[in-house]
Amino acid sequence: MTKALSPWRDPVALLAAPAVLYLLALYALPLVWLLAKSFSGPAGLTLAPYAEFFADPFNWRVVANTLSIALWVTLVCLLIGYPASFALARAGAALQIAMLVAIILPLSVGVVVKAFAWQIVLRRDGVVSQLLVGLGIWDEPQRLLFTETGLVLGAANIFLPFMILPIYSVVKLIDPRLDEAGATLGATPIYRFLRVTLPLSLPGVVSGVAFVFSMSVSMYVIPSLLIGDRFQTLSTLTGRSFLFMRNEQLGSTTAVILLALAVSIVVGSGRLARRLGGSA
Amino acid sequence: MPIHRIHLSRRRLMAGSAAAAAFAVTGSPAIVRAQAKEVVVGGAASMAPWVNGTFASAFQDKYKCKLTFEGTRSLVNLEKMQKNKDKQYLSVVMMDDPVMILAVQEGLLEKLTPAAIPNLAKTRPEAIDMDGMWANYLQPWQGVAVNAKALPSGVATWAELYDAKYKGRLVLPSLQNTEGLANLVMAAHLETGKPFAQAQFDIDAGFKKIKALKPNILTIYTQIPQAFNLLEQGEAWAIPSAFSSVVLPREKEAPIKMYVPKEGIFVGPAGIALVKGGPAPELAKALINEMLSADMQARLQPETYAFPSNVDAPAPPGIPAGTPVINLDWQFVAKERGEWVKRWDREMAI
Repeated sequence: MTKALSPWRDPVALLAAPAVLYLLALYALPLVWLLAKSFSGPAGLTLAPYAEFFADPFNWRVVANTLSIALWVTLVCLLIGYPASFALARAGAALQIAMLVAIILPLSVGVVVKAFAWQIVLRRDGVVSQLLVGLGIWDEPQRLLFTETGLVLGAANIFLPFMILPIYSVVKLIDPRLDEAGATLGATPIYRFLRVTLPLSLPGVVSGVAFVFSMSVSMYVIPSLLIGDRFQTLSTLTGRSFLFMRNEQLGSTTAVILLALAVSIVVGSGRLARRLGGSA
Repeated sequence: MPIHRIHLSRRRLMAGSAAAAAFAVTGSPAIVRAQAKEVVVGGAASMAPWVNGTFASAFQDKYKCKLTFEGTRSLVNLEKMQKNKDKQYLSVVMMDDPVMILAVQEGLLEKLTPAAIPNLAKTRPEAIDMDGMWANYLQPWQGVAVNAKALPSGVATWAELYDAKYKGRLVLPSLQNTEGLANLVMAAHLETGKPFAQAQFDIDAGFKKIKALKPNILTIYTQIPQAFNLLEQGEAWAIPSAFSSVVLPREKEAPIKMYVPKEGIFVGPAGIALVKGGPAPELAKALINEMLSADMQARLQPETYAFPSNVDAPAPPGIPAGTPVINLDWQFVAKERGEWVKRWDREMAI
């Protein structure tokens, strides 16, 4: 019996070296610098920048803005993306290719272009307003641009593929006969979904949620174009601190808080999903 | 008759070139002097067309020299001066006033005097900053840009923008943008009734007044293209304090128009300064003098859409005689702006 080599001794592990070096130089080291900067003061290590940040009620509102928008975007993507993933996984070959092209092709369009397009769509005389007036939901044209609803709609459109594709990759591996087996045993469609399909699809959901949440919590260009300077998020505050106010410490502090929020939500949702999956 | 072929190897060619260069330097000083008659100017990238065009052509012909323009951001020019403090290669810089202040603080600029630059005596006093450390040449002016279809009769006053008929139709520049400060100063003037020279220091009053504008604000921009997209499409009706250099070139292509409100126009910071220890100082002073001349400012006006700082230069077309021209105290702005931006975020947020 051959014994598996330790990753440190396995020469195949060297194949990962370029990627490791790349991430080390361009991600890990700047991150360490960012952390160090956020904890450093004139007299050495300090928590003062964090204390100062959280002592300001305005900053709490910025954190709340950031989290609420990210959660709404993730929820909208999940509600639209989850059924779409099943439709994609169960579609015939030709339709599946067409659907995949429709999902993947928009990724080739830049975020700035998409955000500008949404500016047109969300205007007072834009398609959404006209549609809602036409359907009788609104009495008169209204603007969705520069509203939180408009931001959620625009961001959800941009991030939707990142929800659909991970769920699809899991759902396509679920054997459809499991559902049929449940039906033959007398389980109702809802019971079959909740006890069989949902638990099996949860790894995809967790990946999709992690992708979309982490991207929407840190989005910078989209809120800048769809809601403007009057709605501050942690990423816009970070950008402003570095680029305009030249306050590296405040920028580092907000960046670390943003990172901590994103990591804790992603890790927490992963654990929750595993627990739910395990109990199902 | 034998034919002597000359075999020119790469090594011989290099040796020959070096010898020729040595002869040029030691034996022909006139050539070297001619080569040294060059002035390097650091400015904004957006200035390149008119600096390299109309201005360079006239200046080079007049002074028989070469003008090299390096177009980039003001802060990059500042960095170039900082890095080369012991051996400057820039002779003249053209930068925004807030960056000029930093350059003065670091001792990178040399004071301009009317003796060296005669046109300084013809420059509006308020366009000469920090006792002559730099001067404003052609200043982009700020009025109210409107969508001509939505507001065919335009905007008559800055005060009018507070009217409820503009609800959700104004786009304001952020205080991070240079042009954004004008709205705050105008608000201080409207609130207190003080002349601008005094009102610009009463920023508390400015914040008090401008908060009343919140219902009329569609958005606050930091990116100019985004704001003008909204104005051109008609979603926004007006952009108060937009720069002439942005609005006027667009007037031919889109349904937008610049208006001069009754209370006056602001003129933006556009400074020119002499780099301390820079090469070709006499040529550099001549260049600054040329840029401050009435003739050159009149010639450049159609390309820059800016307001001249020379008192003898004609005002740009469309600005009625007697219109108040408001200069801000950029030293005061530079000192207080960080706090204003913080306050703006808190008081002007949705």
